[in-house]
Amino acid sequence: MGERAQRPTSDSIAEFFAELGRRGHEPLLEKARGSARFDVADGRRTERWLVTIDKGDLRVSRRNAAADCILRVDRSSFERAVAGKLNLMAAVLRGEVGIGGDERLIVLLRRLFLKPPRRRRPRTARKKQ
Amino acid sequence: MSDGSVKILDGNTFVVSDTRGDIEASLTDPTGLFSYDTRFLSKWVLTINGDRMNPLSVDDLEYFESRFFLVPGTGTIYVDAKLSVIRRRAVGNGFHEELTILNHADEPVDLRIRLDAGCDFADLFEVKDALKKKGAYSARAKGGQLVLAYVRGTFGRSTVISSSQPARADKNGLSFKIRIEPHGRWSTQLDVATEALGFEEMRRVEDPGRARRRMRQNLARWIEQAPRLESDQERLKATYRRSLVDLAALRFSPQVAGGRSLPAAGLPWFMTMFGRDSILTSLQALPFTSELAATTLRALGDWQGLSVNDFRDEDPGRILHEMRYGELTAFEERPHSPYYGSADATPLFVVLLDEYERWTGDRALVRELEVESRAALNWIDEYADLQGNGYLSYERRNKKTGLENQCWKDSWDSISFRDGRIPGFPRATCELQGYAYDAKRRGARLAREIWKDAALAEQLEQEAADLKRRFNRDFWVEDGEYFALALDPDGRQVDALTSNNGHLLWSGIVDKSKAKAVAGHLLGPRLFSGWGVRTLAEGEGRFNPIGYHVGTVWPFDNSFIAWGLRRYGFKDEAAIVAAGILDAAEFFEGRLPEAFGGYERSQTRYPVQYPTACSPQAWSTGAPLLLLRTMLGLEPQGEHLVVEAALPSAIGHLELLDIPGRWGRIDAFGRGRVDVEAARRA
Repeated sequence: MGERAQRPTSDSIAEFFAELGRRGHEPLLEKARGSARFDVADGRRTERWLVTIDKGDLRVSRRNAAADCILRVDRSSFERAVAGKLNLMAAVLRGEVGIGGDERLIVLLRRLFLKPPRRRRPRTARKKQ
Repeated sequence: MSDGSVKILDGNTFVVSDTRGDIEASLTDPTGLFSYDTRFLSKWVLTINGDRMNPLSVDDLEYFESRFFLVPGTGTIYVDAKLSVIRRRAVGNGFHEELTILNHADEPVDLRIRLDAGCDFADLFEVKDALKKKGAYSARAKGGQLVLAYVRGTFGRSTVISSSQPARADKNGLSFKIRIEPHGRWSTQLDVATEALGFEEMRRVEDPGRARRRMRQNLARWIEQAPRLESDQERLKATYRRSLVDLAALRFSPQVAGGRSLPAAGLPWFMTMFGRDSILTSLQALPFTSELAATTLRALGDWQGLSVNDFRDEDPGRILHEMRYGELTAFEERPHSPYYGSADATPLFVVLLDEYERWTGDRALVRELEVESRAALNWIDEYADLQGNGYLSYERRNKKTGLENQCWKDSWDSISFRDGRIPGFPRATCELQGYAYDAKRRGARLAREIWKDAALAEQLEQEAADLKRRFNRDFWVEDGEYFALALDPDGRQVDALTSNNGHLLWSGIVDKSKAKAVAGHLLGPRLFSGWGVRTLAEGEGRFNPIGYHVGTVWPFDNSFIAWGLRRYGFKDEAAIVAAGILDAAEFFEGRLPEAFGGYERSQTRYPVQYPTACSPQAWSTGAPLLLLRTMLGLEPQGEHLVVEAALPSAIGHLELLDIPGRWGRIDAFGRGRVDVEAARRA
């Protein structure tokens, strides 16, 4: 992951969505229901991914369909997002990511970009006496 | 208003002007039109034939609307009474202003009307700290419209100023050349609209007329749905009404809440989502409205921390401290997207969820937030026990722009030893242990009764009991008989006597055998001023009656202290604290400030407002509500609401009618029997 973060391969985005499809279920999204479309612009071309979430069950397709929420983003920015290096809120505020539709769902989508958390410190035996 | 400014607001858009309706902001001055932490108008000055206006009166119709009655003329000796000017202004997407000029003379008049406009597009943080801008400004006049803009890379903010009557626009404002017939009138509708590039779809843009109607209906419904208060004491009724209206004004609908609202912290600095403030205000307001709590829980749950990020002081499971929307946040020059540097919001999140369910019976929300609540409980031990000693402590990882003190007393010198020395980091302040204890106890109930996880419930209860045992041993200051403010990094007691002891009673972590001594200190001469409990006791090294967290009295703090006193059966003592704070409210026309001076009551006779306190401020607005709950002794028990009043005798008769909850609606009655003066002497 670290290496990919510094030198994104040309298909790190495709890989991200493929992994979501394989994941199939995301426990952190069990209260979410709806669809999200990611419009990823690369020069004049736009690639679209549609992710539908049904109580945590994920389905990914390349359909260009209407969705409950839409995120518009440049390829380079999205590569940083899939590497866990883009803060969604700040990117939206500075106009780097355009959003529309169900705002609560957009906030919950942050959980799809989650990297395995590193522990703050190795858990040691506690001195509780 | 006392500081000569007029404020109107809706959500996190607000306008601050002088009593003429004019805005002439400097970089360090929080006047102007603000929306999403950005100033969209810093100059807005009306002249007629070159003359500024003179204010006759201001009518604050509602919190979102005001009307300025003016006459042209520069001095107060000569005023041209032949013309009247009325500016009626309402907040919407930006603001809307109806400018009306009446000619009272028998002759027609020719007038040059001018509105000078300009904008610095300052981030509220820049206004606070007087910082310099990095982007480019532009002003464009076209077809009677003026567009002021600021661009920095992909970041763009603009203000569009237009008029319903034909205007000549230039880069510095709008001009009108008009004639008004004898006894005639002229009027125009001015629109000052805010735009944010890319961010537009997140903001609700509404027709100004409809927005006004919505706000008016919404306020009427808010008041109507709240319990009705009847009392012999007229000023208590006034304070109650002021609290309800201000709380309505301070509601804020963040992007995630789907049109529902939660309390923003306060005007002018904190019209945004704050973890701690939103949670504590929602707790204060629960007997009156549960809507704020539900929205706060959902919004904070949605934004819960996901990963370890040092810049934002974020950990998995941590509840946010503060969200901001301005330029500095957008470019990550400040960490507020959101910033997580708060050590109490996470346990308090669980406390609020449990208290909310006890009042409303809304098990669905408890199930909806199971994942977030478990993550919050996990954070306490997994990420917040920085020393591995079983105590919740804090130390910022963002050394540049993070917060040093991540508890409610967040100023630099708030945590000190008796002799005034400041301890190192990490700091384990005492109230954090109380909140963690309470969160574990309440989390255990939710786990057992709603999540059906008996093993987790048992584990949490054991951890809570263990924490309580250790806490009463390690934090108890033997020679003073109170709890230390904190433990320092070496486990030494930070031994100043503070109001935090009251929060410990509220949390339930205090051993019964120690409670009497603690209550004695809270009502004793070093902490109690007569108006309320001081943040830091008189006689401590850093005590200063007008020091932000080192001697002032905070109404919100006192409302939780009173609740804590009741929890341990000190009814009269709770009534004394309530009486002091409610007496103080009268001096502020029912609107309690964030803090006031810790001077002895008999010395000043009136409460001295802290110089730069926010007002209105959410948790001060909520204080009278929690004090009412405390005095009436309202406590949900199963499907019932228990009422056990202990009121100061000055209040006389008190009725709170139609208290909403899982029981439907219930009335509570009480009669003042606690003689505050006699009880204080006892």
